[in-house]
Amino acid sequence: MATEKITIEPVTRIEGHAKVTIHMSDDGSVDHAYFHVNEFRGFEKFCEGRMFFEMPQITPRICGICPVSHHLASAKVGDRLMGVEPPRPASLLRELMHMGQIIQSHGMHLFELAGPDLILGFDADPATRNVVGLIAADPDLTVRAVELRKYGQDIIYQVGGRRIHPNFAVPGGVNRALTEERRDHMLEGLDHSIETTQIGIQLIKDWADANIEDIEKFAVFHTGYMGLVSPENGLELYDGDVRLVDKDGKELELFSAQNYLDVVSEHVEDWSYLKFPYYKKMGWPDGVYRVGPLGRLNAVDKIDTPLAQEEFETYRQINDGKPVYHTLYYHYARLIETLFALEKTHELLEDPDLMGKDILNKSHDFQSEAVGVIEAPRGTLFHHYQINPNGQLEKVNLIVSTGHNNWAMSKAVDSVAKTYVKGPEVQEGMLNRVEAAIRAYDPCLSCSTHAIGQMPINIDVMDSKGVVTQTLKRD
Amino acid sequence: MKAKTLIIGYGNADRQDDGAGWHILKKLAERMGHAVPDEPGEDIEVDSDLADLLFILQIYPELAEMISHYDRVCFIDAHTADFPEEVSWMELAPEYEKSPLTHHMSPKTVLSIAAAIYKIVPEAILVSVRGFSFQFERSLSPKTAALAEKAEKHIWEWIQQGT
Repeated sequence: MATEKITIEPVTRIEGHAKVTIHMSDDGSVDHAYFHVNEFRGFEKFCEGRMFFEMPQITPRICGICPVSHHLASAKVGDRLMGVEPPRPASLLRELMHMGQIIQSHGMHLFELAGPDLILGFDADPATRNVVGLIAADPDLTVRAVELRKYGQDIIYQVGGRRIHPNFAVPGGVNRALTEERRDHMLEGLDHSIETTQIGIQLIKDWADANIEDIEKFAVFHTGYMGLVSPENGLELYDGDVRLVDKDGKELELFSAQNYLDVVSEHVEDWSYLKFPYYKKMGWPDGVYRVGPLGRLNAVDKIDTPLAQEEFETYRQINDGKPVYHTLYYHYARLIETLFALEKTHELLEDPDLMGKDILNKSHDFQSEAVGVIEAPRGTLFHHYQINPNGQLEKVNLIVSTGHNNWAMSKAVDSVAKTYVKGPEVQEGMLNRVEAAIRAYDPCLSCSTHAIGQMPINIDVMDSKGVVTQTLKRD
Repeated sequence: MKAKTLIIGYGNADRQDDGAGWHILKKLAERMGHAVPDEPGEDIEVDSDLADLLFILQIYPELAEMISHYDRVCFIDAHTADFPEEVSWMELAPEYEKSPLTHHMSPKTVLSIAAAIYKIVPEAILVSVRGFSFQFERSLSPKTAALAEKAEKHIWEWIQQGT
């Protein structure tokens, strides 16, 4: 059957370079759709030859959106390469900074990326389906949302002294103790941020109740789920073992990040620069899994903070205690995690060891190879380095959060396109749903540059001979 | 009364011409007797009452609150757009621009958020210079470096007009 192709490039409101191609059949239905990642970072190669202790400063340059996650993952590899355990105050400070990253990133996502779709509607006029439209619809909530992101960003600043690219964590610990003044400053904004997140959670639950039909047909598919866990299988974002569960929540693996290569393998497709990780023992593509908020909440048994645990219990009822597999529930899971991060922030700020001055372990027992892992806002992030006796990097492998979800994003695009897109004239609202399927995963594709005019959007509809029959353009 | 002026240079200083805003801001700071820090997001203390300076990686929503405290704001960036000018000088009005990426938020969008939330719209301009190369380097390409020098002189004159 002849087909035509629609290209959406790049996907709007996600963090980086990507495009979607939708291949249409003659009868106006979708034949298949792909999510392509065009950006090739080359960071792994670029880092070879550098000293391992420079990595916490180099890797945050991968991204302006979650630099803290790369910064801390690099430092954690550095700890292991030096064969040292950071003192407890240093680990607490790193974790606190990480909570700031989670709060700012999740806060940004709900209100500025997903919020316009959820609050104003997928089919709302694109001219108003944005933050300014949100302000008009709910000014109080929007101001609160801006404040929530700012609060998370401020934690990063108070702890690390910089808002974007921290120079804070070093192999063996951190280079800056916390002052009481800074700690008290962070405590001040906490209750307000928790209240904002709870408003957001109620909003998403009300939205889910009203849109359950959409939720149940919007990119619904089974996968495995991965995330860090505490020793009792509780939600963990900073450190712990990695747990992989199957579609029914049954544990497949519980492993140290050092052994990730025994568990995870990567598949390559010629239409994407981003690899497709999968669970080795199940093979490709049966072993695909999801990470990030939905993946994490499906991989754990509980959350160790009271307010988030209460919400987690409600979340788990969605699928009778089994993993929740509906893509749109990523938004709900993301807010539960935000609540956890805020409660965790409170816990950390009240911990007397946080103010300790013992922040750097200077001993060493050098190792030649190590892995660092952290739960970045978008999912599990592995950094794997091999060094020579001089401490220079000989090999670097990064499995970034967005990579783990690569298959799921492409599957979501295909599924939503087949469900919602109908030809011959494709409406903007249909395409917005396709984009929303990707936005649910909050991918970060690391464009790193932002010059004006770099990224116009073109949506081309092409027939089977490759002739453009319809062009939609966004400036 | 003197107008309160804010100069915001933004871009990735590690990606060559994308860091044009940082390079220009650095020269402006030098004129005021101060150096611009190497990292985005750090406070730049400037004793001069001519203008406050800010270097950031990208435009973000809470910037709306900050600019609402100023009478005049100048944004400095690189461009690869289809502008006829190599150094582009645009007066800005609030307008929500549907950006391909949120972290690609535009100055006009930030103005529109400031207008919607804080009901304040400072006089705003966007100065951008054409970027030619975006490799992993901290130095500008020769062509962009020449344009940045030109842009910096114009911005300096604009700053003085507000005093």
